[in-house]
Amino acid sequence: MDFDFGEDLKNLRREIREFVKEELPPGWIMYRLEEENTDEDWEFAMSISRKLSKRGWLTMSWPREYGGKEATLWEQMVYREEAGYWGIPGVSMGVGGVDWVGPSLMHYGTDEQKEKYLPLIASGEPDGVWCTGYSEPDAGSDFASIRTGAVREKDGYVINGQKIWTSAAHLARWMWLAAVTDPDVSVKHRGISIFIVDMKSKGITVNPLINYTGYHIFNEVFLDDVRIPLGNLVGEENRGWYQLMHSLSYERGSIGPSACGFGRRILDELVRYAKETGLFQDPNIRHRLADMAIEVEMAKMFVYQIIWKMSRGDTLVYEPSMDKVFRDLVAERLATTGTEILGAYSQIDPLQRDSKWTKLRGCVEGLYWLFPGVSIAAGTGEIEKNIIGQFGLKLPKSY
Amino acid sequence: MDLGFSKDQKMIRTSVREFLEMECPSDKVRELEEDEKGYDPEMWQMMAELGWMGIILPEEYDGTEGDFIDLMIVIEEMGRKLLPSPFFSTVALCSLPLMEYGNGEQKERFLPSIAAGEQIWTLALTESSATYRPSDIKLNAALEGEEYLLSGTKVFVPYAHVADYLLVIGKDEDGFTMFIVDTKTQGIKTEVIPTTAHDKQCEVTFDDVKVPARNILGEAGRGWDMVNFIFQRGTVLKCAEMVGGAQAALEITNDYAKKRIQFDRPIGSFQAVQHKLAEMFIDVEGLRYLIYEAACGISNRSPSDLLISIAKAKANEVYQRTCIESIKVHGAIGFTREQDIGLYHLRTKASEFALGDSNFHRDRIAAELEHYQAPTL
Repeated sequence: MDFDFGEDLKNLRREIREFVKEELPPGWIMYRLEEENTDEDWEFAMSISRKLSKRGWLTMSWPREYGGKEATLWEQMVYREEAGYWGIPGVSMGVGGVDWVGPSLMHYGTDEQKEKYLPLIASGEPDGVWCTGYSEPDAGSDFASIRTGAVREKDGYVINGQKIWTSAAHLARWMWLAAVTDPDVSVKHRGISIFIVDMKSKGITVNPLINYTGYHIFNEVFLDDVRIPLGNLVGEENRGWYQLMHSLSYERGSIGPSACGFGRRILDELVRYAKETGLFQDPNIRHRLADMAIEVEMAKMFVYQIIWKMSRGDTLVYEPSMDKVFRDLVAERLATTGTEILGAYSQIDPLQRDSKWTKLRGCVEGLYWLFPGVSIAAGTGEIEKNIIGQFGLKLPKSY
Repeated sequence: MDLGFSKDQKMIRTSVREFLEMECPSDKVRELEEDEKGYDPEMWQMMAELGWMGIILPEEYDGTEGDFIDLMIVIEEMGRKLLPSPFFSTVALCSLPLMEYGNGEQKERFLPSIAAGEQIWTLALTESSATYRPSDIKLNAALEGEEYLLSGTKVFVPYAHVADYLLVIGKDEDGFTMFIVDTKTQGIKTEVIPTTAHDKQCEVTFDDVKVPARNILGEAGRGWDMVNFIFQRGTVLKCAEMVGGAQAALEITNDYAKKRIQFDRPIGSFQAVQHKLAEMFIDVEGLRYLIYEAACGISNRSPSDLLISIAKAKANEVYQRTCIESIKVHGAIGFTREQDIGLYHLRTKASEFALGDSNFHRDRIAAELEHYQAPTL
């Protein structure tokens, strides 16, 4: 047992910090999804994607032939942790490009698909940006109840339906789509397939959904008679659910570390703020910051555990759910305690991050207004606890 | 980075677990609550023969040269079965500082006896405030010729009533000094404090107790360094004991939730119960690695006060909460003497206040944050 990172990983950390110093404005910080909100931020994010690609970091864990450098999971973790800490935008190529589209294609894709899509993602160019079409109006937590259908015809599939809460759909070149290919099957999980959809296809309409603080991150997407080639099916027809469950674990190697890095940054910023303002001398504030330090450290432990298990080739079942539940709890703690520390100034609109009233570039407020949505995305706490109960504690299915 | 245990460490865990499953069932724990000694000398001898007392001592003192992680595993397993014994006080609190600070003669004299299970030791540190701040330590040590006279009172000293030797921290003109004190010395009085868990914590009074100057551990005036040394290691080992207990409480409760039928279904199939168990599981798993991280720092001889305090503050919170939630999941039956879950809950308070309560550790974390330099570009 050893928690030391070793010299190579420490060097990687230093290299990334050099990059941050060169490429990001002084004092920069940005929460993971914020880059999607304005054209200006998105353009900046894409300019960074290209640079990350040139460094070989964007898809570092991928094989060389697809634009990676076969980095270890630990290297990837360090990179994503630093990216979260410094708020490096453009690391994920939309929603899922780097984190699950690429790895899934490597696992289930045809040679043709790998050759076409992987280098695009690895290039950091806008043509490599993805969105993920999973949720539907009547299929949220009960995701297997999706109704968007894909009907096979002789030269392709015809897709009809609606997706919702689709982050980055307004920016993406491709959609990673889950659709029903066999509506008559007795177990609905056995009738789902995964497809690649060109977002420029005829019949696609993207409508922005603006959240209650004014962020434009997610969208609703309508698919009306959208035609895609047969070759855009990923893996096996009707095996999509199982492929997807498998690919969910890829996500864990990256989102967790980046959330950890960001959490640590918020803590560091709050500690600095409390020292500068004299609040740090208040015993109550000291204890609240101490509590945050405990939680941030514990969140890191879940990430380390997952990376360690993945690096040994273990199959992850309930562990990512533990990481998710705890990570969301930490985000909530950082956001609520953080806004208390900022006091009345935490009311400043985080979208006005350069205003004269804004503290800490609005990072605490940004987290505060986004954490409820983030905690719902990719599995609510309740769903994650079902998974932990059923698979981690071997309790009877509860829903 | 390697978060796994070695083959040898896994073997240690298995062998300790098997031994305690056999020798320390919950009825044994109940029986020893009523026992005057509070431990089973026969079992103590068997533990010594298995090499547990000397697990971290060098071969020359009849130890088996294990490392800190090995000892942590043993104590985690003891926590799991709530083993009532002076192992923690003897090995965790006393053998480590003897090894680190003792002179050749002291080590020669005491360590092989500890390894053989012939001597019971304990640490007499906290006083009436029952806290760990230097300003709370007042036991007076007056040098008179070649000996010191110790006067004062220590409280919550585990197993002092059966101890052969005490490590006593006292204040003299040089500052704090750590003394090795034979409990047979005249002027020492021990009284068992009536704790709810009947876990043999004592008040020890010193009335002009004569201690020869050669029985100083390390240097006179450097006693607080030793307290820090003991505190770092003892805290992490106490945490290990606590996570062992929390893990057991979770397992007992999870099994119960699978078996207990209401509304024609196991209660564990209800989300209100299942989610509570999931939260407990998250707590215990997260805590476990916080402890392992802090332990690795000690094992590599780079202890981090920040990580140690993080682990203990979290352990205090998690052990108690796990037990309370466990009792709730059990329902009324969890409230009875016959169920094991209550035995765990009874011991949470002793662990919580041993080696620093949560606010004490929050203060330490805050002090670390105050001096911490965030990464800059």
